[in-house]
Order: sequence, then C-alpha cells, then structure tokens
Amino acid sequence: MLNVIVPLIAGIMVGFLLRNRKRIDLGKISFGAIIVLIFSMGFSIGSSNELLQSMPKIGLNALVMVGLAMFFSVVFLKVFQKMVKLK
Amino acid sequence: MIKYILATLGLGGVAGYLNNNYVNLINNSWVSAYLFDFSLILLLFTMGFAFGTDKEAVVKLRKAGLRILGVPFSIALGSIAGGLVSGYVLGISVVGAMAVTSGFGWYTLAGPLVGQLFGADLGALGFVVNFLRELLTIVTTPLMAKIDRYTPVALGGATTMDTTLSIIVRYCGPETLIVAFSSGFALSMMAPFTITAIAGIPK
Repeated sequence: MLNVIVPLIAGIMVGFLLRNRKRIDLGKISFGAIIVLIFSMGFSIGSSNELLQSMPKIGLNALVMVGLAMFFSVVFLKVFQKMVKLK
Repeated sequence: MIKYILATLGLGGVAGYLNNNYVNLINNSWVSAYLFDFSLILLLFTMGFAFGTDKEAVVKLRKAGLRILGVPFSIALGSIAGGLVSGYVLGISVVGAMAVTSGFGWYTLAGPLVGQLFGADLGALGFVVNFLRELLTIVTTPLMAKIDRYTPVALGGATTMDTTLSIIVRYCGPETLIVAFSSGFALSMMAPFTITAIAGIPK
C-alpha cells in the first residue's frame, strides 16, 4: 500500500514543480519499467509449479469466468457512463 | 507494444520455469520481492510525474467530480454478474462462481479467501481467474484503450490501483490516473467484504 502511494505522490509533486520546464519525456523509462514488470510476472508464473499444474485442469473454466467478468464489467461501466456522462 | 508484452511474458515464464526446475540461479522470491517492486515503484513515479505535469488533468478531474465513485460500483456489479452467468454456463456452483469473480483481480486475496469459504477447488479457481484478470488487462490495454479510455479501468478491476495502473495511464492518458487509482482502491476495499457476503448466500 505504502509502496504505491509514496512513489505516486512523489511523482505528482515533482511533476507539478517541473511542469513549466521544458517537457521532460519519461516514456522510455516507463517502457523499460513495464518490460521489467512483465518479465517478473512471467517469471513468477513459470516458477510456480502449482499454478502450472492446475492450469490444464481449471484453465478453460477460468478463462470463461474471467472473460465474462471482464465483459460485464465493461458493459456495466458503459451503462453507467451513458447515465451520468463521465466525459 | 503487445508483441513486446507477450514476448517478455513468455521469456519471463521460461526463465522462471528453468530457474525453478533446473538451474536455480537465483532465489525465486528475489524476482517478486526486488525486481517486481522496483519496476512498479519506478513506474508509479513516472505516471505520477506525467499527471503532475499535465495542466489540464486536474480541470478534467474536477468536472467528473463525485461521479467517479460510480465507476468502481459499476465494475463490481459487472464482475458479480459475470460470475453469475459463468456459474450457469459452466454448471458449477453459482454462488461460488460469484465469489470467485468478486476478487476483482486481487488473486492473492481471492485464492486463499475463496478457498477457505468454498473449498480448495473453488479456491484454485479464485486464484487463477483473478490472476488471469490482471494478466489479460496488461496484455489487452494497448488495444482496449482505443475503444474508450475507461474500458481498461473496467477490465483491470482492483488491479488498477497498482500493477496495471501504469499501463493504463500510459495508454489512456494522465487524466485517467485518479479514476483508475480510486476505482482500483475502492474495489480492493470491497473485495474481502463482497466475497464474505456472497459466501453467506444460502446455496
């Protein structure tokens, strides 16, 4: 929790202080960090034999469930956006 | 981008598998404890930075006002509805399926908690389903951001306050930072209560 709040707030504050400076592009840094993040996610899947073993058994059910949960989340949010005009 | 994401994920998976089963070059927990946390902190900082330098972000946010609180509630209802439908489609316990999808993507919570309340089989589903939610959000966000900039927020569920936040902000713009974070935060708060409440529904 604290690892999330502190860097986020620090970034907002530094960004706010430097907002009138020449545009600083952090795109490359964030791209690199995303790649490292995804690599370590892949690593934790690959190194968990329990997770790999349970995949063939429950993988299909899990895919159907996650697909439907994500689909309905998007639909419900769309309906909400239509109702209150979020944009 | 999606090519790089999938390639890196595959590479990480192979590396993790080899390290765990054959070479044992580094301790597995080293990657999750240091590499993962370090990149996450760096990403959150750069995303906060992008929000801080965006002069219009606060104005846009002020316009949305309290209405952004409706976002996590819609996503929660959608996730539960998805569980309900999938329970019927797959012929498994409908209440259990609803509890599984009420993890909103928080797999370290949903796995153990659903397992404790509904038994090991659904617990495993609770882990895998919510894990896939985080994974699929990361992989599909570059594509889904083109539909609507809040679509990835709905996909990510509770994960949009940390792991998927940076990717969403990168593809959907700095003004989505607060919506994504607050939605993910609210859903993370709601997940344990929702799972427990659903477990109380008579089967």
